[in-house]
Amino acid sequence: MVEFLSYGFVQRGLLAGSLVAVSCALLGVFLVLKRLSLIGDGMSHVCLTGVAVALLTSTGPVYMSIPVVMLSSLGIMKLTQKFKIYGDAAIGIVSAAGLSVGLLLTALAGGFNTDLLGYLFGSILTVTTGETWLCVGLLVTVAGGVLAFYRLLVATCFDEAFAHTRGIPTQLVNTILVLITSVAVVLSFKVVGIFLISALIIIPPVSALLVSRTFKQVLWLASGFGVGSVWAGVYASFVLNIPSGAAIILINLCFLFACYVGSKKVRRD
Amino acid sequence: MQEVIAARGINFAYTRVPVLENISFTVQSGDYVGLIGPNGGGKTTLLKVLLGLEKAKGEVRLFGTPLAHFTDWHKIGYLAQKSPVAQSRFPISAEEVVLMGLPSSHALRVTRAEIREVYDAMQKTRTREYAGRIFNDLSIGQQQRVLLARALVSKPQLLILDEPSTALDAKSREMFFDLLGELNTHFHTTILLITHDTGEVGKYISKFMYVDKNLVFFGTKEEFCHSEEVARKLGPFAQHTIDHLHNQHGHCPLGATCQECRHG
Ligand SMILES: Nc1ncnc2c1ncn2[C@@H]1O[C@H](COP(=O)(O)OP(=O)(O)OP(=O)(O)O)[C@@H](O)[C@H]1O
Ligand SMILES: [Mg+2]
Repeated sequence: MVEFLSYGFVQRGLLAGSLVAVSCALLGVFLVLKRLSLIGDGMSHVCLTGVAVALLTSTGPVYMSIPVVMLSSLGIMKLTQKFKIYGDAAIGIVSAAGLSVGLLLTALAGGFNTDLLGYLFGSILTVTTGETWLCVGLLVTVAGGVLAFYRLLVATCFDEAFAHTRGIPTQLVNTILVLITSVAVVLSFKVVGIFLISALIIIPPVSALLVSRTFKQVLWLASGFGVGSVWAGVYASFVLNIPSGAAIILINLCFLFACYVGSKKVRRD
Repeated sequence: MQEVIAARGINFAYTRVPVLENISFTVQSGDYVGLIGPNGGGKTTLLKVLLGLEKAKGEVRLFGTPLAHFTDWHKIGYLAQKSPVAQSRFPISAEEVVLMGLPSSHALRVTRAEIREVYDAMQKTRTREYAGRIFNDLSIGQQQRVLLARALVSKPQLLILDEPSTALDAKSREMFFDLLGELNTHFHTTILLITHDTGEVGKYISKFMYVDKNLVFFGTKEEFCHSEEVARKLGPFAQHTIDHLHNQHGHCPLGATCQECRHG
């Protein structure tokens, strides 16, 4: 364990992974309660377009994907609001568009190569110093935002119409939430891979919601599950020589199962 | 007298079918207005337009300020017809829900003054005893009373209530309407209330507004009871119930054929 932790790339991977996991968990709590959690799924598919564009133009996939995913997330919001399409359908449409454009561009770029596989399945140990700093910025923004606007966020998630009648700019709150989620999604694809990003946004909050009695408890627990799963997952992948992204999500599923069993017990008592 | 709500030429449609057409009216400070009309007549939609929850053609002024520039939201208490998203087990207690009715604050900690106001409001709607329970675990009627407390907690000068009593039992309903009556008479609170229960609410209300896409009628209770247009829309019976049960007005639109009058 000590030896494992002595590598610089391991330290960087764990640090970036923890930062991203906490950010995703905090954002996820609000998205799950707003029934918008699948937005992470849609955005992660759009990442493929971003990555493909980066491969085509030989730019950094992370830096290329951030604007692409932000734009598409605004597209999802506009689709839901202007055309009254159900939220899940709007997400499905944007997700399909992201995947197909991504696949098309990938083919143009010369098909699947090892780089691309790394993005699809995650490669936490290749996180760069620059990306780690981005993760620090993300967590500071998310945690700072939750602290500064706690009541406003909870009110908007619970009852948007009423929040509006308290003078809360609910539209703006939603837009900012979705934009920050875009950044979190992009930074997550290094950690768990494009296919599993949404799991990092959905599973820790759902586990926490099962056993918590207060909103603050949910935020703490979800963050804890996120960080715990990254550490345990990376360690398991090191010892058992399995893909780290898959290990992280499987450990999250174990937490979920434990919470489910725990919630049954609590209810019976 | 101050104009609390002024609406001019409101036109609104969700799709292509118009839901509200050319609606204009003024609610004065101290009015207690019963908004009535058939299902789908556009009552809920009208309230949403007044609060800026739906954008409509026309002009709305709240307390003299155009809606787009209105910021004094603590002057308004609102209760929607639909309860907020309640499927997921939102981990929030009844008292935290009521707290949301106070002006939005950035502080993490809840102040003593805020707690006092929350408990005062919960006392009024008899919800103190389950202040600490999780909102989603409460029964529908209990939830409605918590939401009423949330509408009252900022001590609003204008209450906008969309069928606030549908889930209340007889005793709670009576207490609730007594409370509204008291707010209206003692504190001069303006009330705009949607209801289908014209007979029961008739004794408290001072004005009626009948909306069925158009503003069919807007006037005092006395005028309502003798409006031929309303009689055509509602049948004389609804007017009669109000007139007869609560007004001692003597005049019954049904005349000698009326069962109630002969028994009464
Ligand atoms: N979100 C919506 N999208 C599309 N149409 C809607 C929407 N909400 C209401 N409508 C339509 O607008 C019309 C007016 O609805 P509204 O809810 O305002 O009626 P209401 O008078 O409040 O009825 P009720 O007495 O049943 O509460 C109805 O025909 C309804 O079908
Ligand atoms: Mg209605």
